[in-house]
Amino acid sequence: MTLLRRVPRRLIQLTCFVGAVVLVWPLVPWAIAPRLFVQMSPFVALSSSIAARSIGVGAVLALIVVVASSFRKRWFCLYVCPTGFLLENASRTGLRKIRWWSKCPPVGRYVAILTLVGAVAGYPVLLWMDPLCIFSSPFAVNKATNPISVILICLGLGVLVGATLLFGMLWCVRICPLSGLQDLLFSARKALWTKLNARASSEKLRLARRAFFAGAAGALLGLWGRRLGAARYRTSDTLLRPPGAVPEDRFTGLCIRCDNCVHACPSKIIHPDTGHEAGLAGFMAPVIRYDRDYKYCLETCNACTQVCPTGALVPLDLQQKNKYIIGEALVDNNICLVPLGKKECDACERSCPYQAIKITWDEEQYIAYPVIDPNKCNGCGACEVVCPTTPAKAIRVWTQKSS
Amino acid sequence: MRRSITAGGLFAAGSLMPVSSMLARQAARQSTAEGETRVPATIVDGKVVQPRRELPVLQKTSILVVGGGPAGTAAAFSAKRLGVDVTLVERYGYLGGLATGGLVLGIFPLYDRNNKQVIFGIGEELMKKLDVLKYGIIDRNKAPIYPTIDAEAFKFVLADMVLDSGITAYLDCWGVDAIVDAKGAVHGAVFESKSGRQAILADIVIDCSGDGDIYAAAGATFEKVKTNIGLISRIGNIDEVDMAVARGSEDPEHPVTGKPGSGRPSKGRVNDMNGHAGNSTPAPHVNWLNMKGPVGDALDVGDLTTMELKHRRATWGNVEKLRQKPGNEQVYLTETAPELGVRLSRLLDGCKKVTVQDIRSGAKFNDVIGYSGAYANAPEFQIPYGSLIPSKVENVLAAGRCISADFEVADITRLIPVCWVTGQAAGLAAALCIQDKCKPRNVSVLKLQNLLRQQGAYLG
Repeated sequence: MTLLRRVPRRLIQLTCFVGAVVLVWPLVPWAIAPRLFVQMSPFVALSSSIAARSIGVGAVLALIVVVASSFRKRWFCLYVCPTGFLLENASRTGLRKIRWWSKCPPVGRYVAILTLVGAVAGYPVLLWMDPLCIFSSPFAVNKATNPISVILICLGLGVLVGATLLFGMLWCVRICPLSGLQDLLFSARKALWTKLNARASSEKLRLARRAFFAGAAGALLGLWGRRLGAARYRTSDTLLRPPGAVPEDRFTGLCIRCDNCVHACPSKIIHPDTGHEAGLAGFMAPVIRYDRDYKYCLETCNACTQVCPTGALVPLDLQQKNKYIIGEALVDNNICLVPLGKKECDACERSCPYQAIKITWDEEQYIAYPVIDPNKCNGCGACEVVCPTTPAKAIRVWTQKSS
Repeated sequence: MRRSITAGGLFAAGSLMPVSSMLARQAARQSTAEGETRVPATIVDGKVVQPRRELPVLQKTSILVVGGGPAGTAAAFSAKRLGVDVTLVERYGYLGGLATGGLVLGIFPLYDRNNKQVIFGIGEELMKKLDVLKYGIIDRNKAPIYPTIDAEAFKFVLADMVLDSGITAYLDCWGVDAIVDAKGAVHGAVFESKSGRQAILADIVIDCSGDGDIYAAAGATFEKVKTNIGLISRIGNIDEVDMAVARGSEDPEHPVTGKPGSGRPSKGRVNDMNGHAGNSTPAPHVNWLNMKGPVGDALDVGDLTTMELKHRRATWGNVEKLRQKPGNEQVYLTETAPELGVRLSRLLDGCKKVTVQDIRSGAKFNDVIGYSGAYANAPEFQIPYGSLIPSKVENVLAAGRCISADFEVADITRLIPVCWVTGQAAGLAAALCIQDKCKPRNVSVLKLQNLLRQQGAYLG
């Protein structure tokens, strides 16, 4: 009897797993498939909707999952979650004896509370712990252009699989915020269903206190994260986010490091950051670096803005994307070949897809230099990648400063 | 003895001068004598009128090359090697055009995107001749850095080669008109020199004038464009430390160190010429200094005059400014180029026009005659024979900067090594016209491509 019940579950799991791979790869000719996949996680859909103060299709789907979760305990984990399927199989082959964590409190539900409250503050603090997001990440590995990116892209799932091999289902049972959210909903429903007990037990009080502290921590961390991001953006000169990125104070919170944008970029210029550009708050969040020959943010592409599941990158059509300012191109006339009379060079002028650069003749000084029209330049980097000076480029895209 | 072999052994006794050149001189002398009886221009009804007159024929030749710049010399050398009678006419007193007189010393663009050289043929031969000269050329085979030549060394190489080749050359001789028959076919060109106005009759004329003066005079259709006109100069006494930096900005072996490029540049700040102006040349302690210049009409004598004067005055001023930078106190202006750096003026309306689309999509042409190197975001691209043939006029070929191409493409094909490519192809095509007794547009492309390959050209 139990066998009969388990076999169809594994079949459903396998089907969902294959479906997940098809969506994330993506093997369907549907550009937004990776986004829909990650949005299927109610944790992501709810938190990002709250943080972005908008309700999309994902949020409606998430509400359905939420309602369902409150009736059948952890059904999403048991049937749908591809990470759960992967880890379940890993735990079968791993060292399953270590069970020291069985007394560990259910961290997941506090992570969920913390993140949801953080989302109310506009900064869903630990949203990147979502299992679907972690599952989606390694599919971007073919767009990694250096070993560090490979490590960062595979880090999440790698850690989970490693931990599961060592410690069994620690993640799924105790830490995963998605399962924590389901547990929360389930017990909330039960609490509503059963008659409310007037006499508050000490156990219940303890749980409520924990939940309150988690929520408070979420709010504080959320506000702190926003400040941190904003401060970093003011001081950094080289931090460039992919097109459609929301303001930096909210970006590092909204971005869940699913690497969908890294995966979607045909130019392979979006990289997960080591924290070098945007600090700890921006660890693993995507940055643009124009470090590849002739590869820039194409005027014919808006792929990254279409695949973001949380709205950290706002979906933009092609025209809007080309108007989105990634950064501003500035010329260092101390090394530009033109004012120094070194060479016949108009590489930047020629390569600009928006005709924003004009090598201008200055009759006063009797030299020529590139002049950039800030109203046309969106920081696509086409000029930077063709600039022949080495190692420093005479024309570079810098973080835009409002002043 | 070596000379007589390379020149085909045709020498007058006791002279090192090829016979053809001697004949040319005699013809020139005769025409001067006849010229004394000519009738001057007069004023009729308040208008200046030049009376109809017969022009002395200076020479009859098979192929007439107008213009002795990179394209013209490449055309003349390649045609002469097929044993055809070639006459070369140049308006200045030296050969090499903008590569020598214009001080365009950078041989660029020479490489494809993978830093593989794609321009060979006559151009490579000339650079090999410079290789063996002391202070002749630097940075050879060091892609992505481009070679830089010395103007005087290159003048020497070209003079040496022309003297030895058996080409009849006329210098200080300005092509002013085309000789066209009733059907519109060209049969030579008219020249103005100290010997007066003379005609050279030819079966095929190759217009390497840069401005397309001859095809325009013959009635070929063209596009007139205006772009920046500058004046290059050379500055001397650049100290050696600074020179390393000067080359550094493009040279991985000598990267820019210290302040430049170390921080965010402030918006709109324009630096006047700083310490490491210009690019090094084969001559020690000498840099060449490019100038973009304002937009002007290269076919307007007023614009040209203004620029010649203003550019020279400003160059002097800028060198004075440069001298105020520490380490450059002893810098002096070695020379300003004798010729203005005219980039583009006329673009031929040819049988085939190389378009921006062509070079972006990497178009392959059946009648490919060579490659241009990669430049900025454009990869290396093919140049078709059709871009050298005027769509209307017969017996004329164009080569050099005035071939048939979109403005953005011509802005690449105008550069020195690409002029070598189109020049060599035009010379060989003209020689084939003589050998096969056909019109330029009917030349066997297969034969032309074989000949180009035999002469070492790269066609992909």
